[in-house]
Amino acid sequence: MFVQEALQEHAQEAAHGAAEKFNAGETIIHHVANSSHEDALIHLPKVLGIDFSVTKHVFMLWLVAATVFVVVTWAVRRYLKQDRLIPSGFMNGLEAVVEFVRDDIVQPNVGKKWVRTWAPLVLTFFFFILGANAIGLIPIFDVLGLLDYYVLHTGEHSFIKQLLHGGTTATANFNVTAALATITFGAIIVAGVKAHGFVKHWMNLVPHGLAWPIYILLIPIEIMGMFVRPFALTMRLAANMTGGHIAILAILSFVFLFAEMGGAFTGIGAGLIASVPLAVGISALEIIVVLVQAYVFTLLTAVFVGMAIHVHH
Amino acid sequence: MDKIHYFGAALGLGMIVIGAALGIGRFASAAAESIARQPSAADKITGAVNLPLFLLEGVAILAEVFVLLIVLMK
Repeated sequence: MFVQEALQEHAQEAAHGAAEKFNAGETIIHHVANSSHEDALIHLPKVLGIDFSVTKHVFMLWLVAATVFVVVTWAVRRYLKQDRLIPSGFMNGLEAVVEFVRDDIVQPNVGKKWVRTWAPLVLTFFFFILGANAIGLIPIFDVLGLLDYYVLHTGEHSFIKQLLHGGTTATANFNVTAALATITFGAIIVAGVKAHGFVKHWMNLVPHGLAWPIYILLIPIEIMGMFVRPFALTMRLAANMTGGHIAILAILSFVFLFAEMGGAFTGIGAGLIASVPLAVGISALEIIVVLVQAYVFTLLTAVFVGMAIHVHH
Repeated sequence: MDKIHYFGAALGLGMIVIGAALGIGRFASAAAESIARQPSAADKITGAVNLPLFLLEGVAILAEVFVLLIVLMK
């Protein structure tokens, strides 16, 4: 999307004009906006003008989807094979989360009649977003980088080198969240159509029985509102995930700024006193943000679907 | 003068923070007050406060994205 492209352009400028002095802003933008088409993991040809190359965010997307699918199915299958259906261990936690999402997010908004229709979608959203957000907090790729640097010594353009190129949160990419919000957009329309019929759903967008001049004003506003909701969902998730990265990087870059000003020991001092404790604090905050953003996305999806089903004006 | 857009972006960011802080502050005070009056309804009150809170946050985040756009695209 637009923002992502702007970030990528900026990152490329930063990479080309790599100055000798440490530039915090350019480093941060470069780190946050990576995964451009230039350093794709797997290069694929263009089809109809769309570049199908697999960038790192796409790779992370597949990894998260596969992990969530395998882990959840494995746990549920193993649970169903038992003689006595008593959940234990991981299944216990899974069941608690599923029950929470169904009873506290979906049911109050959608209503008893439609819970079984919409709970699967909302649950899929929840687990996928939670997994994608949480994997961004785990420094797998930095560990891989150490391994590569000290043990493997792969080449400049190898798969692992490309993989190491920067951050890893798939949901920090505006394209990913836009796709998720598009599913929500479709779900709202499907919910309205299923509950009220095709024509009635579109008539439900505006309240009935008003004087006709009001409709001239109201219909464009309601149509705009229809598109603004998924747009806000997109921006909220992606900007929240990107924001945490930027904050952590900005705080950690104090070390290098101070080292440039007053030598290596000043940098180490700044790191010990300010940067590392603050970065640890923000990382702890990020754990909460990861959970809350998954909750918010699913809650808002449930609320919008519920609004299409229970129309009240 | 070619860097004046940074000024606008910084000013905008400050105003976003003021607005969002005022909004969240009012939410929190109202919720705390109503829970203090009616502790048994705490769950319902938290539920009712949640959704507008996230909508408010969404507006603030949107404004921040536009500020970022001002900086990146001039």
